[in-house]
Amino acid sequence: MTAPVLETENLVKIYGRGETRFDALKGINLEIGKGESVAVVGKSGSGKSTLMHLLALLDAPTHGVVALEGKPTGDLNAKELNELRNSAFGFVFQQFFLTPNQSVLENVTLPLKIAGVPAGERKRRGMEVLDQLDMADKAENKATDLSGGQKQRVVIARALINEPSVIFADEPTGNLDSGTSQVVEDILFGLNRDKGITLVVVTHDLDLAKRCSRQIYLRDGQIVPTPEKAASDVVDRQPRPAAQPASADDATGAIRITEPATGEVITLSEADAAELARAAQEPARPGKHAAPWATDAPDHSTDQPGATA
Amino acid sequence: MKFLDLLRTAIGNTFRSKARTILTVIAIFIGSFTLTLTSGIGTGVNDYIDKTVAAFGNQNALYVQKVPERSTPGSGQEDGPTEYNPDRANVQTGFGSIAGLTDADIDKIRDIDGVESVDPMYMVTPTYLQAPDGKKFQLSLGSPSEAEGLQLEAGEIPDRTADEILLPASWVEPLGFDSNEDAVGKTVTIAMSNAAGADRDFDVRVAGISQASLAGASTNPIPSSDLNKKLYEYQTSGSPRDVPNTYFTATANLSEGADVGPIKSQLADEDMLGLTVEDQLGMFRAVINGIVWILNSFAIIALLAAGFGIVNTLLMSVQERTREIGLMKALGMSGGKVFGLFSLEAIFIGFLGSAIGAAVGVATGSVLSGILSNGLLSSLPGLSLFLFDPLKTVIIILAVMFIAFLAGTIPAMRAARQDPINALRYE
Repeated sequence: MTAPVLETENLVKIYGRGETRFDALKGINLEIGKGESVAVVGKSGSGKSTLMHLLALLDAPTHGVVALEGKPTGDLNAKELNELRNSAFGFVFQQFFLTPNQSVLENVTLPLKIAGVPAGERKRRGMEVLDQLDMADKAENKATDLSGGQKQRVVIARALINEPSVIFADEPTGNLDSGTSQVVEDILFGLNRDKGITLVVVTHDLDLAKRCSRQIYLRDGQIVPTPEKAASDVVDRQPRPAAQPASADDATGAIRITEPATGEVITLSEADAAELARAAQEPARPGKHAAPWATDAPDHSTDQPGATA
Repeated sequence: MKFLDLLRTAIGNTFRSKARTILTVIAIFIGSFTLTLTSGIGTGVNDYIDKTVAAFGNQNALYVQKVPERSTPGSGQEDGPTEYNPDRANVQTGFGSIAGLTDADIDKIRDIDGVESVDPMYMVTPTYLQAPDGKKFQLSLGSPSEAEGLQLEAGEIPDRTADEILLPASWVEPLGFDSNEDAVGKTVTIAMSNAAGADRDFDVRVAGISQASLAGASTNPIPSSDLNKKLYEYQTSGSPRDVPNTYFTATANLSEGADVGPIKSQLADEDMLGLTVEDQLGMFRAVINGIVWILNSFAIIALLAAGFGIVNTLLMSVQERTREIGLMKALGMSGGKVFGLFSLEAIFIGFLGSAIGAAVGVATGSVLSGILSNGLLSSLPGLSLFLFDPLKTVIIILAVMFIAFLAGTIPAMRAARQDPINALRYE
């Protein structure tokens, strides 16, 4: 296994106190290696978003440690945390969070602007990264004039522009139709494969999760070994009739995480990861790559309430 | 984020919801426009007063009056009558007697250190002034000391010793002269009656034509010093009993560089009041400044209201852009920079309103000033009602920007404190 880029030790996050006390995370221990792609899977309220926020240094844990490149981050001050997030991380959210009335290029170069990079270099690097994503011809378009898939590509370009070591993707395909989801996923996994950028994907879409080299299942703030409980609840919660329950995923046999509920993480070998990836490349249900409830999600819905909380 | 990027972003953001920005800018515009105009009036009038003071060549003159020994309300003396003092001389006027200066008072003034000479003001009340064509006019004379340094339209100031008179420009036509130049050198007649009721005519040469001014002095014809004295002597002659000389005021000419303060206090010790030209105009100036400040305070109230407009606009903006702020913070923008971004937006809105307001104010004032000085205020040449001091205008703009900044702090603080997680979860 490669050196871990992110590690946590006994990560606990508690919201509120007394009657309203809510233990979002109850002692998470995990390591994410450099170049890995990790899916954090769980239903709403399982703590997966909280875990991502802590890993991404957007929030501080109640107890426990998050270490980046082997260095604990608990002692860093706000300025250092800001700089770290700005330089080391890229973010892809379900909702695109593009600034309306600004051009695609301006949206993409926002992290560099925050970092204080001069305008000339911003433009050069912005065009470079847009070119990579086949969006160079849309550079001067308004961000709001794009289709959903194009928007998400802009968001990925924005996440890429600072050459991050980790990209956090929170339901990256939650607002996209299945075809577009496929393209966006291909881009993300391509970056993971070709550039060695570590990918942390938070999702309840098990098909997407399967494409990752490793899955972490969360339930009630703890890591659980199997997806059944974690995933079935997700399906139950969906307002649309779930034609194909996610339990079908069991049939693929792609899920091999067997760590005990103590929080011990067993990392897959590289061979296993490759096998997993292969398995993911072969869609179990052709044309139904994304979760069924997501297939007809509107393309343009920047303001759709996300199921990320 | 570099400051320039921050500024550019802030300016770009203010134009994102144009209608809201424009309405807020209009509110600030109104305040700034009013403030610019009122301060323009203040500068214009004060500048005119300064010029008028400068026009009085005799800046060393101190105008001395007797302080009435009458009980004044609030002085604590109104309870009882004031005892009769035979030494006090009163000037008889048509509406009663006024405490006047006696010859002894004049001597006292002359004895004060720093006083070079004293010219008592003779109260001369001629019967009429007769124009060369025989027309008669009512006449009250100004004090010869006022002629000094008046702006003349033609001729010269009357010679101290000659029988000469200075006429205001507005008198030229009624007296039957063709022009100011035509009037100079012509002879007019002043008719006097003495105490015995005997009439006598004095032929007087027109020495010059004076410009009207706000000081009010030159609205009356001004005789030369000696002519004035001659007229006075005739006026008081023929009385059955000796009338003691009493003067309404006297002009103390101070020596060069004399300190006015101690002289005034010495005069006060002798129950006299000394006022310089500046003191006299100072009262006028105080009234003008008072009016200007009342108008200013209206403008400032308008600006305060506009400040709340900025608070409102930016609060809405912060609300709308919650997720954008959250994203920027997630991407590593510090709270301080977010605060700076919104503050700059507020300051920019303030700048837009104040700069446009000041520019339109200056333009309006200048046009109005031009129209007024040819119309309503044409009798006061040299007065431009609105005068714009670039420094003051810049100060107004900066002050409005500062108010805008203060107004912006509340929304900016709210934006800066936003938690990126909550903001990104915002639905």
